[in-house]
Amino acid sequence: MAKILVIDDEEHIRDVLKQVLERAGYDVVVAADGKEGLELMAQQGADLVITDVIMPGIDGIATVQKIREKFLNTRIIVISGGGNVAPMEYEPDADTTIAYLASARHAGADRTMTKPFNRQELLDAIKELMTE
Amino acid sequence: MLMVLLIHAVLMPILFFTLATAVERNLEDGFLDDARLYARVIADGIDKLDVESGQELVIERLDSAVLGGQSIYAALVYKNTVIASSMMEPLEIGQFQEDFEFGEHGDDTYYLSLPVGSGSRAGILHLGFDEAPTRENFATIRSTIIYALAAYMLLVLIAIGYLSSAVVRPLKWLQQASRTISSGEVDKELQTKSSLVEIQDLTADLEKMRSKLVGMNAQLQQEIADRELADTERRNLERYLRHAQRLESLGTLAGGVAHEFNNILQPLLLYTDLALEDLPEDSPAAVNLRNVLDLASRAKGLSQQILTFGRQDTDADFEELNLAPVVHEALTMIRALLLATIDLRADISGDIGDVRCDPAQIKQLIINLCNNSFRALSATDGYIHVSLKEVLVPRNKVTENPNLHEGEYVVLQVADTGVGMDPQTVERVFEPFFTTQDVGQGTGLGLSVVHGIVLRHDGEIIVESELGKGTTVRIYLPLVDEDAGENNGKRESHG
Repeated sequence: MAKILVIDDEEHIRDVLKQVLERAGYDVVVAADGKEGLELMAQQGADLVITDVIMPGIDGIATVQKIREKFLNTRIIVISGGGNVAPMEYEPDADTTIAYLASARHAGADRTMTKPFNRQELLDAIKELMTE
Repeated sequence: MLMVLLIHAVLMPILFFTLATAVERNLEDGFLDDARLYARVIADGIDKLDVESGQELVIERLDSAVLGGQSIYAALVYKNTVIASSMMEPLEIGQFQEDFEFGEHGDDTYYLSLPVGSGSRAGILHLGFDEAPTRENFATIRSTIIYALAAYMLLVLIAIGYLSSAVVRPLKWLQQASRTISSGEVDKELQTKSSLVEIQDLTADLEKMRSKLVGMNAQLQQEIADRELADTERRNLERYLRHAQRLESLGTLAGGVAHEFNNILQPLLLYTDLALEDLPEDSPAAVNLRNVLDLASRAKGLSQQILTFGRQDTDADFEELNLAPVVHEALTMIRALLLATIDLRADISGDIGDVRCDPAQIKQLIINLCNNSFRALSATDGYIHVSLKEVLVPRNKVTENPNLHEGEYVVLQVADTGVGMDPQTVERVFEPFFTTQDVGQGTGLGLSVVHGIVLRHDGEIIVESELGKGTTVRIYLPLVDEDAGENNGKRESHG
């Protein structure tokens, strides 16, 4: 059974994603921030990681970079709420969300998604990535 | 000039009287000297004669004195006897009067007495000289002086007249001209009216000064005009920047709200979806939850619109194309779906250049604009006019709208004859959630979405509106520059 790590600082998003993915038959672990996510990754590993971008501490992009350094085969989906919400340290003059998602892809993410997405969109994306 | 005349008026009589007096004295002295000399000669002649023995000879001498032309009266008084010249009338013989001055008695005769002989033979010689020729002489000289002075006066008058016309008038004219210049009227060119070199030079100098002044004036006016233009440009730019900053900060705010909103919507959507799965499909709870899902999708659409305004959405599909078919499609959609009853007129030119755009967003933009126009028309019998054409944006338009560049644009215009807006409303139409509709009638996002789309297309949007007359919205989209390939390549290689 494929194992999915969900990293998001929003408790309800962690919870609902866990429920959605478990119903779809995946083994799910959750983490509330990048640090916790990386620890879980080191302890257990995962076939696929779903991570938010904007989080306290180690943010989504740094998390992706760190995971990618050690886990070449792990699939990574980055999800973002969109909008100008954080300092634009990655590409300061660019459109923020686009910049984030581009940075995320650059850091090694396989797919980016903008919140809110529906259940089917998420499951389709995961299936696609796992069968590649 | 008047001064010169006054001086002459005083000096002339003084000069005249001085001269006349001097001449008169001179003439008198001459006359008296002559008379005395002549009398002495006659007296000497008589002295040598024996009066008692030769009266004939004495008379002869006296006659010769008269005949000599110098005297008109000649008589010798000797021992109470008067021996007179035979040349005189008997009546004249007694007329002798003692004279001491020239012109005495007014009888035109100057009398002179001289003692003749000595001792018992002594007598007195009386001679009379005619004063008239000397008087006439004097009168002649006096009139000559008068004529000379009159001639001089005439010359002076002529000189004054000449000076007045040759010097004073041009000087006065120059003075007038310089006063005119100093009063600020500097447009008339100065040309000398005098043949005098000095006046010509002065005029030339003044003219040089004037033309310099005109040049400086023109330069100043140009500088003022430039400054005013610069001020206008600066004010426009400031106004534009303020507006842009305001919209940007609103966009940032709205983007932040949308982000949070999406983070809330995400579990809301998925929780509802999961709950629906656990319920029988026709249970009242399932119906309610499907309503929740519908509302959540609406909320999702709203937040996407907000992000479109803030230029923060991610999916844009840009291509270079002719806008005409896109506009036609949008109008067909509007006619079919939204505003079937409306008087929608179109003037779409297909003969336009390509623009770089996302057709889906342009359609969205047209629909939003037409929707606004439709709402503006609802109370009136007006129409909506949509046009598409290519225009060349001139420089002065650039001054008014800093977002425009001088050059070619495709202009999409949506005009209506609806209720229109006041300037305060026009100022705020692009703000997200700004609406003039009643609560529940509109989201207030339509034009802010349009604004976001236009900015993303490097375009400009201009809204003109007048209360009661209607609103015209013009969207300027830059024409794809066919020569730009090379330039872009260069730019990118630098970046």
